[in-house]
Amino acid sequence: MTTNPQKDRPEDSPRLTSNVKAAGCAAKISAHELKQILAGMPKIYDANLLTSITNFEDAAVYKLHEDQAVIQTVDFFPPVVDDPYLFGQVAATNALSDIYAMGGTPLLALAIFCFPTCDYSLSMAAEILRGGADQVVKAGAMVAGGHSIQGSEILYGMAVTGLVHPKKMLTNGGAKPGDAIIMTKALGTGVSLLALKADLLDHEEQARLFSSLTTLNNRPILVLNGIDIHACTDVTGFGLIGHIHEMTKASKLAARVSINKLRFLPACLELAKEGLVPAGSYANRKSFESNVSYINDLPLEVTDLIYDPQTAGGLLLAVRADDVDEVLRKLGEDRIEASHIGQFLEGIPGHIDVTIH
Amino acid sequence: MKKELDLRGLSCPEPVLRTKKIIDDQAVSSVEALVDSEINVQNLERLARSQKLFVKKESVGDHFRVSIDRQASPSGHDHQTAPHKAGANSAAASGAEATRGGGTIVFIAKDTFGHGSDSEKDHDFSHNLLNVFLQTIEQSGLKPRAILMANSGVKLIDPNSSTYKVLCDLKDSGTTVLACGLCLDYYGLKDKVPVEQVTNMFAICEYLFAADQVLSP
Repeated sequence: MTTNPQKDRPEDSPRLTSNVKAAGCAAKISAHELKQILAGMPKIYDANLLTSITNFEDAAVYKLHEDQAVIQTVDFFPPVVDDPYLFGQVAATNALSDIYAMGGTPLLALAIFCFPTCDYSLSMAAEILRGGADQVVKAGAMVAGGHSIQGSEILYGMAVTGLVHPKKMLTNGGAKPGDAIIMTKALGTGVSLLALKADLLDHEEQARLFSSLTTLNNRPILVLNGIDIHACTDVTGFGLIGHIHEMTKASKLAARVSINKLRFLPACLELAKEGLVPAGSYANRKSFESNVSYINDLPLEVTDLIYDPQTAGGLLLAVRADDVDEVLRKLGEDRIEASHIGQFLEGIPGHIDVTIH
Repeated sequence: MKKELDLRGLSCPEPVLRTKKIIDDQAVSSVEALVDSEINVQNLERLARSQKLFVKKESVGDHFRVSIDRQASPSGHDHQTAPHKAGANSAAASGAEATRGGGTIVFIAKDTFGHGSDSEKDHDFSHNLLNVFLQTIEQSGLKPRAILMANSGVKLIDPNSSTYKVLCDLKDSGTTVLACGLCLDYYGLKDKVPVEQVTNMFAICEYLFAADQVLSP
């Protein structure tokens, strides 16, 4: 499942991550900057376009006919790990995730690839693409082509097309007051990837991180067939708080998040405490902190992690409070890491209370 | 020994790693690091705090100078480096022994939170405030290691008192709740309090002297 991050590196090639300033979804343009950039975009009105850009949805959904809608998404970033095959897997996991977060199934993927052939060996390029393609096959879809260019920095990702029944589409909106927030996977990939770059993770911590980064989000919604999921998104570059904020805004609700219920990747609290905090975490804090009230005093490293930008993070699901036990049982039976981390409440839309319990 | 580091132009996590390498050397008494982004400043502050060192920052033109010291500078302008917001991370204190030491101790030696004038109305208000104080501790999950009551403070643990319930909740969530036996006796409450919650001045002193902090409302 996991591979040694440096085993295939030819002696003459630099480390894949050596030239990278911001890793994975930590490389995202911050929410407040993005808002400025998008301010002048033409407004789009089309009855068949089921998503709105203002809700910061994970993907665009377009209704083809009553029973079918097409989902399109694109995601790419610089290397987060030194092993090219693993990097390919992570990038694909991350790109495919948006399809699952919309409640859909992936169909086709096109690779997007920027690669400086002078600096790195061609076999490295081939490994990145193979890792991505294998992961897409694992998801039951296929890489049907792509586009590559020369550039000063490696960038890799995918445009993915998926399908969803319009009535089964899941968005940031739709959560109801009292709904429970269920989160899959553990938090802390941003801090952990920074620590990996600094050679501060032991073998087991690396294994946990790589396993999280390459776990597809295909199972949760499949396993929860029959449960009414009101809203869904995946936790990526804006961090836990950023993505809950988008859900609360789109659902016109407030939310409460319980720190004690959060799962963290091993060692990442300690690492954050020592200053291994990615720039993206500071950017997320700046973008979202005004929407947050801390009910309790929290250690700084805990708040660093709720703003930590996630690469290939888990899903956030809004389900009825009555369904929580069944949801956790079904996810548990499928060996999906999940916890009930909070709830949606009537209140100021977009506001999040962070509490210990 | 004092060290200077120019970390400008380096991206995260390099500045933290290089600084940590230097301060891990006990022979180094202080480090002055030049960095070029606010993020690096904040990460170095986290590093210093995690190592319980003193840290100062200043802007110099378009970059920053972060000074990390083993000792507080004589000017006294260092940032406090005590563990950040300790309240939330104190360990559970169930079954604590006074001699084990540490933690936050809440020491209540009267049945009011501060005091108003001597009128009965003001006394009721001050007593209610104390109740709110205890409820806030309980609801915020701060988990003090122990709550010690002495003098008229022991009235809080009277089963007929409005504060009795919150003290039970705190006890259930792992805080040691103890009342001075001499005082319970004086106020005629000794029979109403379970014997394991009755303590003496010796134990009270041990708790207070071993505590990381003592809070008295």
